[in-house]
Amino acid sequence: MYLDRCLLLPEKVWKIDDMTQLDAACYSLSLAGAKKLENDGFNKLKAVWTQDGEAVPFAVLDCFEQPLRGSGRLLLETRETLELLLSDGQVLTQSAKRSGDFVSDLCDGPVKDALADLSDLRILMSIGTGEIRLETLTLVDDVEKIQCRAHLRTLTTEEGGALLMTLRGVRGYDKALSVLRRKLVGLGACALGRGAVYLQLFPGQPGYQAKPKIDLTKDMVAVDAANDIIAAYIPVVRANEAGIIADHDSEFLHDYRIALRKIRSVTSLFKGIYKPDQTADLKARFSDLMSTTGRLRDLDVYLLEKQKFYDLLPQTLHGGLDMLFSRFAQERGEEQAKLALHLQSKSYEKEIAKLEKLFRRRKKLTRGPNAELSAGKYSSKLIWKRYRKVCETAAGIDTNTTDEEVHALRIHCKKLRYLMEFFAPLFPQGQVKSLVKPLKHLQDNLGLFNDYAVQQDSLAALLRQLGRGRQTGALELAQSIGALIAMLHLRQLEERAKVTESFAQFNSDHTRQTFRTLFKG
Amino acid sequence: MKIIACYSNKGGVGKTAVSVNLAYAFAAAGKRTLLCDLDPQGASSFYFRVKPSKKLTEAAFFEDVGKFTKAIRGSDYDNLDILPANLGFRDFDVFLSRMRNNRSRLKKALKGVKADYDVILLDCPPNISVLSENIFRSADAIMVPVIPTTLSQRTFDQLVEFFKEQDLPLKKLHGFFSMVQSVKALHGATIAEMTDRYGKRFMKAQIPFASDVERMGLLRAPVMATTPISAASKAYQALYLETEKRVMAR
Repeated sequence: MYLDRCLLLPEKVWKIDDMTQLDAACYSLSLAGAKKLENDGFNKLKAVWTQDGEAVPFAVLDCFEQPLRGSGRLLLETRETLELLLSDGQVLTQSAKRSGDFVSDLCDGPVKDALADLSDLRILMSIGTGEIRLETLTLVDDVEKIQCRAHLRTLTTEEGGALLMTLRGVRGYDKALSVLRRKLVGLGACALGRGAVYLQLFPGQPGYQAKPKIDLTKDMVAVDAANDIIAAYIPVVRANEAGIIADHDSEFLHDYRIALRKIRSVTSLFKGIYKPDQTADLKARFSDLMSTTGRLRDLDVYLLEKQKFYDLLPQTLHGGLDMLFSRFAQERGEEQAKLALHLQSKSYEKEIAKLEKLFRRRKKLTRGPNAELSAGKYSSKLIWKRYRKVCETAAGIDTNTTDEEVHALRIHCKKLRYLMEFFAPLFPQGQVKSLVKPLKHLQDNLGLFNDYAVQQDSLAALLRQLGRGRQTGALELAQSIGALIAMLHLRQLEERAKVTESFAQFNSDHTRQTFRTLFKG
Repeated sequence: MKIIACYSNKGGVGKTAVSVNLAYAFAAAGKRTLLCDLDPQGASSFYFRVKPSKKLTEAAFFEDVGKFTKAIRGSDYDNLDILPANLGFRDFDVFLSRMRNNRSRLKKALKGVKADYDVILLDCPPNISVLSENIFRSADAIMVPVIPTTLSQRTFDQLVEFFKEQDLPLKKLHGFFSMVQSVKALHGATIAEMTDRYGKRFMKAQIPFASDVERMGLLRAPVMATTPISAASKAYQALYLETEKRVMAR
């Protein structure tokens, strides 16, 4: 199972800290704690346990980066129902029927509504399975009046288990509820919101972070910073391989590519860190890894944005779009299969394992002229230089400059953004954030400009290819592609027209001042 | 929110059994229900196993929303809360008679929990007093169980007279026959006569005399919860449906 890959990720190990809360409505208890609870007394109250039905299999569902775990929720799927346990003790239930694995594929119901914050690009996948048994615990007084209830779910997995208790107080009997709460906390129960249940059910299963936390300091030498960044992103690359092979959702490839691009940008942006021949070798090797993925990502983007293309053209041209998108879908299938094979090939495994080892052991990494500079000084210099380049290029842009200049600005901005994000831990967090936000806005503008250009080129190439064959429907298809190119061109011009203003917005007095204070040596 | 009183100026007519089962039926139908046990003997609290409240004195009942609210207890059933009685409630009358605007004090007291409930049922003590006048004025409907015997008939007549004298709307009265024994000829004759005399003031549903109802004291739960298929439960369900139609729909 591909989650094994995650085990390679050392950065994010979920920790339990300060999980006791005396006002929670849903608790998780270890199975040992649960045993003790059964044998314990509750002051003057009597405990009555009632079993509700037989044990049934369950799966815990979450997206790959585990946003439900992160937000203290637990999504359980049994044969017929989906149950979402919330930290406030609410339990939402709906039918488990679904047409696919995305949240949008679930049938309408309260669980689907409560999952609306999850990414629509990510599937829900099983992060572990086991058996679930339901029980009710009531605390009654000397005349058998119910003073407090708790709904119990005993979850057992191969590696562990937990007892989940949702507490239901009875009006006017607050004491009974607090007796039960105190008992639970005394036995080591944790509020569901703290996520401890995941550790109890699936111990040793660390999470996934697309942006790993890297501990950089100003006094470390630049080469260590570079090595640490690369070493942190290689596991991200590896963690996504299985999801790409299984073709779960498009985000696996997207994260895979971003991680590789970040690594490659370290090798190209951090000048003089390694010796020139090793720098060239690393750049080439990471580029090679990326190169096999480009076409599939392009096709993913087309398919994800399918509706946007349909919206661009009148209905009369939708027939041609249907053909175009069925071509894309088919080609995507082929590209995916190709990439899956490649990722499972011995040569790929060998290469990535070599790179992993290179950055783990670091013995064979050479040191260039800048290797021993302090990370603080080195990063300031790089960022300041890149920022100056962004400003110079932007200054030259007016309505007459070529598209190439705009592309150059985009690339400089991208490099600036990477540098700032890599070295963000070395500078005051709020100030770096205040620079990144307007930069992002400028990049969105430039990114769209570029996407429209790239898509026009690739559609034009497809058109040329069509001219050679004589397929049925070729004319209809060509008409739609032609119209699409025209529309994309219009959009590109619109984005182009915004660039000067976007840049002015980014390069405010505040931005200039902050760059100067933070990064100018 | 509707206030429904279960009232009889004669004791032992099945009033508490009706309060308890009607409250249960409303709650089971999803209505947020509060059963106020105003009878100092606390029989309906007893049926729900709720102990008398120590802190809710008569003064707090009418003057302290916080204490009133705090005294409310959840029953073992969803949507159903109980305000238990205590022996102090026997002094309601003395207390009320000393208060200004004493005829509308109950309505004011209930106002504090109005937002929490769809229905408030009052289980009333069996007498005509300042408290009962308060009840007549606050309630949207007054359910009056009547055993079809001469003595019960007389008390219903007295109640109607009282309403007329005090200029209270007769429409609020909803009589129904309770502890009916179909083998008794007298029961049949009384039912016929009273239905004839009071027409719409009497409901169609009748509660039969049943040992299941008597066993409620032993089981300490509404008969509708313990033996839902019994004749008594079915009769209470019919009474609930008719009440719902008469009171809630309006």
